Amino acid sequence: MLFSSFSFGLFLPITLLLYWAVGFKRIKIQNAILLLASYFFYGLWDWRFLFLIVASSLVDYFAALAIKGTGEKGRQKLFLYSSIIWNLGVLFLFKYYNFFIDEFALLFNMQQGEYAFSTLNLILPVGLSFYTFQTMSYTIDVYKNRIAPTRNLLNFLCFVSFFPQLVAGPIEKASDLLPQFNKKRAFNTEEVKEGLRQILWGLFKKMVIADNAALIVNTVYASPEDYGSLTLLYASVLFFFQIYGDFSGYSDIAIGTAKLFGFKLSKNFNIPYLAKSVTDFWQRWHITLTRWFNDYVYFPIIQKNLRNRIRRNVAIFLTMGLIGLWHGADWTFVIFGVFQGVLIILERTPLTKNRKSSLFHQSPIPRFLLPIFTFVFITASSILFRSQNIEEAEIVLKRIFSFIPSENFGAMVNKKFLIFVFIMMASEIITRLKDFPLAQIDGYINKPTRWIIYYIFIFLIFRYAGPKEDFIYFQF
Amino acid sequence: MPGRKKTLSIFSFSETQLRFLKYCLGFFIPVVIAYFILELLVLNIPINYKVFGNYLNTHAKEIEVMGLGSSQMKCGFNPAFSEKIAINLSSTSQHHNEDFHILKGTKDRLPKLKYVLLEVSYNHLELPHHSADYWKNTIYLKYYGVNAFERPTWFKDRLVYLSNTRFYSYKLMEYYVYKSSSQKLNEYGFDTNNYNGDFKKLNYNESKIATNKFKIITREDPTIFKENTAFLFEMLEYAKAENLKVVVCTLPLYKTYLKERNPNIVRRRDSVLTVIKNKYDNVILLNKETDTINFTVYDFLNENHLNPDGAKKFTALVNRRLDSLN
Repeated sequence: MLFSSFSFGLFLPITLLLYWAVGFKRIKIQNAILLLASYFFYGLWDWRFLFLIVASSLVDYFAALAIKGTGEKGRQKLFLYSSIIWNLGVLFLFKYYNFFIDEFALLFNMQQGEYAFSTLNLILPVGLSFYTFQTMSYTIDVYKNRIAPTRNLLNFLCFVSFFPQLVAGPIEKASDLLPQFNKKRAFNTEEVKEGLRQILWGLFKKMVIADNAALIVNTVYASPEDYGSLTLLYASVLFFFQIYGDFSGYSDIAIGTAKLFGFKLSKNFNIPYLAKSVTDFWQRWHITLTRWFNDYVYFPIIQKNLRNRIRRNVAIFLTMGLIGLWHGADWTFVIFGVFQGVLIILERTPLTKNRKSSLFHQSPIPRFLLPIFTFVFITASSILFRSQNIEEAEIVLKRIFSFIPSENFGAMVNKKFLIFVFIMMASEIITRLKDFPLAQIDGYINKPTRWIIYYIFIFLIFRYAGPKEDFIYFQF
Repeated sequence: MPGRKKTLSIFSFSETQLRFLKYCLGFFIPVVIAYFILELLVLNIPINYKVFGNYLNTHAKEIEVMGLGSSQMKCGFNPAFSEKIAINLSSTSQHHNEDFHILKGTKDRLPKLKYVLLEVSYNHLELPHHSADYWKNTIYLKYYGVNAFERPTWFKDRLVYLSNTRFYSYKLMEYYVYKSSSQKLNEYGFDTNNYNGDFKKLNYNESKIATNKFKIITREDPTIFKENTAFLFEMLEYAKAENLKVVVCTLPLYKTYLKERNPNIVRRRDSVLTVIKNKYDNVILLNKETDTINFTVYDFLNENHLNPDGAKKFTALVNRRLDSLN
């Protein structure tokens, strides 16, 4: 069930009505409704994977209790590693197994049937990477004594499967989300209105910006060898807006939906096209993923040796490589991540003995131009992200830099669409101190004008929505 | 919770919630009304699918020939010139999986159906099929009574405007606001005024056409090729089991288009056509893709579509081929 689908338009109000009307007396009933709704929501993709999510939840629930229950460090480690092996094992099996088997065979020049392990015909469960990371962080945090394990199984199952953020994040820390299931939620009209506004803004970004960009990007990337440099460059720039509209739109809908139920989810995007460096970009793009890798990969690697430049660079390199690999089992994603890592290292390398002489701190480029430079690097690396394989990325890059004339470029440019991109960017930049452009507008715009604005957005979504596309991040 | 009303046995809302519910209803009711007005306006537009559907319903007992394929077949076969009672259910971007759904979904309603014209154009076998939620599935359901969703359908699957708001918004503007459509559909849903393509714009001047830019897909996809070929064989097996004769058609292409085709794609497609010809005794080929003798520049709408004059010629060739079967 896509957030932008008609089915979700029915599912959400029904769940909401049940949640607020039936479940007011006890939190338990509200949580039970949420759990059922979440499993229903997830089961519509493929009910068989409900077993997997329940199994993952139970493993981490009991592992955390066992960690807390035993005082012995060795046994705590055993339970922690069991949980991690389970989570990473599931992830590896469904997402990476075939990739590694194929690469292994390629490395030793073996043909199908020559090696003991054959590839598996498995579908990747939607949202696997998201909920696996969320549950894994819970067990690690319990082990590190950052949080106490919950004894309430219902709440924990809700924490893992909370439908607004189940399939594509934001990836929440247990310390942020889990306590919210314990607290009584009161119906707050202002919060609910704010949630609806955020959903509206998210739908606009997804259906008008991302889906229309996809129309051009998919056409061009379906046969890049048929297009000239300018068209390929244009499609690659549009891909940035496609993925931004798609994922940040999804995050807005997720955060808005959670607000309707009285929950607060973490911000996942902060106008990434204003980033002044690649480091800054990753603090604005998929913020909760970067935070996860910082907490559980980067900092554990560098430990307390922040000043050890080699160790820090290795940590950056590894972290970004893993972030790349998290996105998908393909070399394009790994190279994408590594490329980002190299850029971050270069930005942070001091040019003189002064630690603050790095490009990150003292760029020779005027500050107002920095977002443009960052955007160029990000767009260049997103070619890898969009391409089906290395060969395709190579074709795109070669053709862009061969300055091949783009005879059909005019046909690709849709002025109305570019106006919508401009509206999105201008609105976000002007209201950059707020969570999203429509936030708190009842504070300064009267009701009739507000309604007109909402109706205009609904009209734009109906009138100019692109062909329905899946959310890109569902595949991760 | 203060102010909670005990009005219904299951539901129990607070005053605040009820107020908010009313606020939401006040906001969304105009949206719903506006939507249904749009839906009605869309249903009123005389689009070809609607005509196909009407013809399918009114002539179900008589139809002997069914045309299936993409826009090339849609533009190339005019049932008005068919010697047998025919229907052309081809449409733009329609692929073999939709063709198969339409064939299976209508077969039982067409007791006299004997011949199926099936397009296997230049890159048909290397283009992926549409997914099961392809927007035209609503059209097939609404107008042909065919469920191509591969799942049970429900109320929403019949909402035409919602199936592709972009396309129908354009159609609404074209029909009601600009009144700019030059389309003239005959009783079979074939557009008899479909001349306004690139070639007419260029006055059928061959030297100008030679330099005209057009879109052609040259990308090879052997994986898709394998899948699509297997699917095509499955369709032919079905036709055989149902005692249907299949005319596998390739439609005429203009010489500039022929020149730009990827020879590997052509070779693979042609090898499949040869296999089909040898393997299935209920299948014959009507391979007119490279027929530059019968089809001149004046028969084309653009590089890869016929205009109504070309369609008349192609339909005559179909007639002859069907005669040869008897």
